[in-house]
Amino acid sequence: MTVTDTGQRVECQWCHAHNLPEARSCDRCGAPLDQRDRVSDAGWRQAPRLRDLTQIHFGSSTVQVDGDMVPVAELALDAADSVFFEHHAMLWKDETVPMSVMDTPGGAKRLLGDMPFVLSVARGPGHLALSRDAAGELVVLPIDGSAVVELRGHALLVASGTMTYSFSKAPGLKTAILSGTGLYLDRFEATGEPGVIVVHGFGNVFERTLVEGEIIHVEPGGFLYKDASVSMEVISVDLAAGAEGASKATQGVKAARDMAGRGFRGLKAARALMKDGVSGAVGQVLGGGGAAVLGEALSSSRAATFMALTGPGRVGIQSMYQDRATG
Amino acid sequence: MTDTMTYTCPYCRRPSTGEGANCPNCGAPVDIELRTTAGGWTELPPIADMARIQVGHSQVEVSGRSVPAADWKLAAGEGVYFPHHVLLWQEPSVQLAPMSMRRAWKRMRAGLPLVMLTARGPGRIAFSHDSAGEVIALPLEAGASVDVCEGRLLTASEGVDYDWQDSNVWYSTSGGTDAADTGAGLSVLNMGLKLGGLADDHRDDRRNETEWHYPLGRYVDHFTAGEQPGMVMIGAGGAAFVRDLADGESLLVKPPALLFKDPSVSMQLHVEYPKAGMKLWRTWGNRYLWLRLHGPGRVGVESCYVAEEDPGTDFHDTSGATQQLWR
Repeated sequence: MTVTDTGQRVECQWCHAHNLPEARSCDRCGAPLDQRDRVSDAGWRQAPRLRDLTQIHFGSSTVQVDGDMVPVAELALDAADSVFFEHHAMLWKDETVPMSVMDTPGGAKRLLGDMPFVLSVARGPGHLALSRDAAGELVVLPIDGSAVVELRGHALLVASGTMTYSFSKAPGLKTAILSGTGLYLDRFEATGEPGVIVVHGFGNVFERTLVEGEIIHVEPGGFLYKDASVSMEVISVDLAAGAEGASKATQGVKAARDMAGRGFRGLKAARALMKDGVSGAVGQVLGGGGAAVLGEALSSSRAATFMALTGPGRVGIQSMYQDRATG
Repeated sequence: MTDTMTYTCPYCRRPSTGEGANCPNCGAPVDIELRTTAGGWTELPPIADMARIQVGHSQVEVSGRSVPAADWKLAAGEGVYFPHHVLLWQEPSVQLAPMSMRRAWKRMRAGLPLVMLTARGPGRIAFSHDSAGEVIALPLEAGASVDVCEGRLLTASEGVDYDWQDSNVWYSTSGGTDAADTGAGLSVLNMGLKLGGLADDHRDDRRNETEWHYPLGRYVDHFTAGEQPGMVMIGAGGAAFVRDLADGESLLVKPPALLFKDPSVSMQLHVEYPKAGMKLWRTWGNRYLWLRLHGPGRVGVESCYVAEEDPGTDFHDTSGATQQLWR
């Protein structure tokens, strides 16, 4: 962006761009600049709630955010620009906006990971509006240079056509089954031109930046996005480990009861999977629902599952999600 | 990024964001009707908490923000009608009675509520729609009409005549769409099961059946004010937007997103086939169903709706749908 030298800058605390002193909103990501000091005691800061009718520019086009509870991203596309998104997010469009589809890499992996096979592509000129049909917030993540952002599946509302899209596998089978984020994360990077992705988070969205080696445990359902530099693994925290004075015999009984419990839950999971016969069971597993069932069966009744995220980099979470019951 | 100057003060003709109660340039009260998105929509402002609206000698007060309730203070001899499931509470003095409904068999087949109730004052009675969104008041001048999509009605004053008519937006497909029919991997599995004699023997029979789909709902509610002005209140999911289509102007919206329209606005099913490579699997979502709204008249949409499931199978027949193949 071009900034005339006025000797003073306002740094956006969302994307760290420098803005003119009189600017009320960030020129790159739309964040209101008066949000910069809002940091919780724990270090999280709430994603800036975009003012109604705020416009964000990318290429020669704009995204305008309308509405509050279930916000709409309304795009005014220039003839030279395009965007891509999952087709079910469409709300309305001009008849003249051409539609095409983007073939995505992965094939059978996408089927396994409950990811859409194709993404819809809209090209300008014209207007198009998208919404995710759920209460929450839209956050804008400008991506340029070497930045790579990994995103929870289906959280993308729209990405500018200049972004390169791929996906990365959640590390380890345990992570894939227990993380609650699916087997794969969507991955966006800018190759050449900078771009933006607009992400929908349920409820409110919070972000913090982890320094190198810093670890934070996040409930898997709350995870929304992270820099690719942030590593991720699923850990189980034994809730009974802190019990003091327990005899070895008592611990042995507990261990046996845990094993029996796992066996019982395994049977329940198998019954749930097989309720629609062989075809239904395979369908659940392929569609991703089976992973949750298996996760329930494998988890200990005395353990809580967390996603351990290790810095350096940004981490974004959402405040509303369907939790996977512990134990 | 810039804050949008989408409001032009009718007094001083200076642009502003229109966010405040008064024009920042001359202090004139902001007319919310003049504030539009770049795409031409006006966001219906949520009714202010505890706002009161006068209807005849009765009053309705809208309270709450996330799931607002409409609290009527009915004058003696005045009444409202409503679908029974939206009733929240009432005072004992309010007289409830069933409302005579015509064509009950058709209503039942269409999923419309079979039981509508009338409430007569004096006393208080309140309604809510049990979903996050907004309550919208549609005042009707004497003799004026409005079409409201089914399932949206909250309440209407008794001087408003209620009728319902075919939406005439439909398509039919051949073939069943049970869970085992979705997904390429499952199709292969089902072929294997069939070869092994384990398949569902009735699946072929279901495939030969014709299925009828109504993306907008089978019927549209039609309200007409009598000799006196009246009030229709509806519930919207998320945020609601309204715009006026000029004579001959048309727009594509996702069918389930439509809230209401003037009777002068005509509707037509429209199908888009995006530009794509080889179409290997039928469930790739390679077509988009739209509702074309043709002016003149006012239309309202909501930002949060339950998406219509398109089975993806070939059309058997349609209600005169138009098609666009992008190449």
